[in-house]
Amino acid sequence: METIAARPFAFAFDPSRVALIVIDMQRDFLEPGGFGASLGNDVSRLQAIVPATARLIAGFRAAGRPVIHTRECHRPDLADCPPAKRLRGAPGLRIGDAGPMGRILIAGEPGAEIVPELQPAPGESVVDKPGKGAFCATDLGAHLEALGITQLVFAGVTTEVCVQTTMREANDRGYECLIAEDATESYFAAFKHAAIDMMTAQGAIVGWATEVATILAGLEAAKASRRAEASL
Amino acid sequence: MPATLDERIDAAFVPGGRTVASDPYLWPFDGDLRPANTAIVVIDMQVDFCAPGGYVDSMGYDLSLTRAPIEPIARLLKVARAKDFTVIHTREGHKPDLSDLPANKRWRSQRIGAGIGDQGPCGRILVRGEPGWEIIPELQPVAGEAIIDKPGKGSFLATDFELVLRTKGIRNLVLTGVTTDVCVHTTMRDANDRGYECLVLSDCTGATKLENHLAALDMVKMQGGVFGAVAMSDALIAAIG
Repeated sequence: METIAARPFAFAFDPSRVALIVIDMQRDFLEPGGFGASLGNDVSRLQAIVPATARLIAGFRAAGRPVIHTRECHRPDLADCPPAKRLRGAPGLRIGDAGPMGRILIAGEPGAEIVPELQPAPGESVVDKPGKGAFCATDLGAHLEALGITQLVFAGVTTEVCVQTTMREANDRGYECLIAEDATESYFAAFKHAAIDMMTAQGAIVGWATEVATILAGLEAAKASRRAEASL
Repeated sequence: MPATLDERIDAAFVPGGRTVASDPYLWPFDGDLRPANTAIVVIDMQVDFCAPGGYVDSMGYDLSLTRAPIEPIARLLKVARAKDFTVIHTREGHKPDLSDLPANKRWRSQRIGAGIGDQGPCGRILVRGEPGWEIIPELQPVAGEAIIDKPGKGSFLATDFELVLRTKGIRNLVLTGVTTDVCVHTTMRDANDRGYECLVLSDCTGATKLENHLAALDMVKMQGGVFGAVAMSDALIAAIG
């Protein structure tokens, strides 16, 4: 157990029971010319977190800890897309319509793929989720239980939508949740800050927040103390 | 809007509605049987469970019991598809890296010489993408029919089954497939607890042991239909045909 600095108070980090969840770093949300951009969003805000997210992923891989990726997408026949979700889109830009990178938010289309810089490594789980939360209608919960995970570190986009929903789901399921503040982003700066404030309010009511460098240092410290134990 | 639960039940009854000749009550309870609110669920009719050389065969069970439902299911699907009923298929199987396979499930399967994930006569046993995991040729899904890949016995756990049902507006489930006492029953119980109105078809299901098939059907009918109702496929076909 390593205690690391975090908001609203120090986080009791257990690198032997932690997994990293990287939410929805998909081309349609991050790349110019994708679905997110077509809605008028400034995707450069989201692209800016790619290097920090890559460092965080590399740290988990080096520590031998699970990295789980999620993608928001639907079955090609939309059997898992509630009409209420689809009909909120503007005509022509709805889920399943032909978009700039293939059919919008459909599994298997180029836009639904994870950006090249953050491609999953062989053996890493990729959870395709039809909702904002990654636990709804997926095998994520069963997978984490099988791995014996008790703590989750979150990265990805967008902070106030899919990251926050998944973190709330995880918190209610008993996981200790830590969000990597510089590896998550929103199209709206104010929403990112408000979301993290909500998570950490009232004594970490949803979880903790800290920087990528602090998490990486915690993983390193755990590795060093394991080495020290082994040499005794 | 009717105020009490009993008033809502009364209001739900469809005057002159359609029901199936089933035990222990005429199903569905309110006579609301339509293509738009009813799905035929075909559970795990996979090579591993009902074809020579599959998982069940390699455990030494009598394959004729799990093959018996093939012809009745095929006959039912022909009618159901013609009448625009929703058809959903399930497949039990695990990811190739076995990350969704609980340790005790693998250990128990290894003990009887058919370890999940090990090489069997039809590829790796119960692993997604292997020949043994495929749905048998006789009951292949047609375009537009959802397939639910499930790591457990029940179809709701770790899948999007319920989301697909809700999105399609399904309230009634007709359960077919194998095995009656394991995956069909777990799915039926899960569905029943969630408020779905369930019918299991006795000739469209099968088990690895006849006594278990019969006992599983019997259990459904206790306590006024504790999990739903039981019928023969002909009765359903007569109601919807």
